[in-house]
Amino acid sequence: MMQVAVERRPTLLFLIVLAVLFLLMSTSQRTRVVGETRTLFERTVMTLFSPVPKAVNQVGQGGLDIYHGYLDMRRAVSENVQLRRRLAELTQENLILRRSNSDLARMRSLLSYSEEFTIPTLLAEIVMVDTSGRFKSAILDRGSDHGVEINDVVVHPSGLVGRVILTTKDLSKIQLVIDRGASVGSLVERSRRQGVVIGSDRGLLSMEYVPNMSDVVVGDLILTAGIDGVFPKGVPIGKVVQTEEGADLFKNVMVQPSVDFRSVEEVLILHTRKIPAEVARYQP
Amino acid sequence: MRWLRFLVGLLIALTIHSLLDGFFPNALAFFSPYVILVAYYAMGGNLFGAIVAGVIAGLVEDAFSNAIFGLHAFSLTVVGYLVAYVTSRLVLRGTLAFGLALAGSVIVSEIVIYILVTILTSRPIEMFEEGMLIKTLITSLFGMLIYQLLVLFLHEEPLDAVRRPATR
Repeated sequence: MMQVAVERRPTLLFLIVLAVLFLLMSTSQRTRVVGETRTLFERTVMTLFSPVPKAVNQVGQGGLDIYHGYLDMRRAVSENVQLRRRLAELTQENLILRRSNSDLARMRSLLSYSEEFTIPTLLAEIVMVDTSGRFKSAILDRGSDHGVEINDVVVHPSGLVGRVILTTKDLSKIQLVIDRGASVGSLVERSRRQGVVIGSDRGLLSMEYVPNMSDVVVGDLILTAGIDGVFPKGVPIGKVVQTEEGADLFKNVMVQPSVDFRSVEEVLILHTRKIPAEVARYQP
Repeated sequence: MRWLRFLVGLLIALTIHSLLDGFFPNALAFFSPYVILVAYYAMGGNLFGAIVAGVIAGLVEDAFSNAIFGLHAFSLTVVGYLVAYVTSRLVLRGTLAFGLALAGSVIVSEIVIYILVTILTSRPIEMFEEGMLIKTLITSLFGMLIYQLLVLFLHEEPLDAVRRPATR
């Protein structure tokens, strides 16, 4: 009955509603001024519809979390790829630097060693080395074009390496001191007793012609004596590792070479003063 | 059924309101989903229903915004009444008609709000004309888009869904 009456007079309803709403606004405005921000009616409407904003907020927050998680994941993946690439670059760089550092240390060692000699020197790199066969030799990357000559002496900061036995334009072949055909005039540093160091098949050196009565003990340092016309005086050859009296007049002295031939990479070639052939051949 | 549609529409409008508040604060100064809802419902031509729809939608908007409580209820009630009054005498159909009705609704709503705010606070709204123009454009375009989507999904004239069946 009431609804029908209202529906038949919508304009009246409209005006009443507007009046009520204006009153509501005025009340709301007054309470707002004295500090109360929400009227009871307003709170009721908010309470009724509050699940909607809450749900929207939760869904929105969840969506944002997923989105940010996805962005973080993409950022992390991208960063991971970049870091891996950087790691590979730095590893490569590190390897190069370590090698350069190692090369530099060896070069410095060789250069400072070369300053000890008054004779001309030439830096060379070993391109091949054979210490396992019967004939122990090595190939250097310097040849006659670089001034390398037969019987030039090859040394390393740790000791004597050998002598040049063959040259080409850009390569040279050296006989290692441990080759069984090599022989070097030598002396014991401590007692100055001379002898001849020759190679042996066991990788050790044998010092020959050392009298039984001479003073040679294990640990003595053996140097080149400079008496054979090839090797300069004072280059370390090795250390005595075994000594015993021989059946004849001479001792059996075994020497451990100073140089580890398997780890040598760069060497110095010494242009020693050669004895003229006619002088070497001269027999009074 | 018409009231159920209105309730669903109101919940959607409140959802849009919450989303805009969350992601684009102040967006409601340039767009009003409640005006779309009330105008759409009022285009059914039912004056009583339009007044009630305007009051409810306006109160919900007021409750979840920082406006004077009752301000939007007042303006939307005016909008609902006027749209329903016009459509009860004119036959309006189609997206363009809905868009024009929306544009008029937004303008009326904004003018009512301007007057009320000026009366109640003695301080006129700044940049009122620019705000009204943008709000009219955005709300009308968005409303027309929704209307077109309703045409596609309902496979009928959306206004027929809210139109009161003729009494014998």
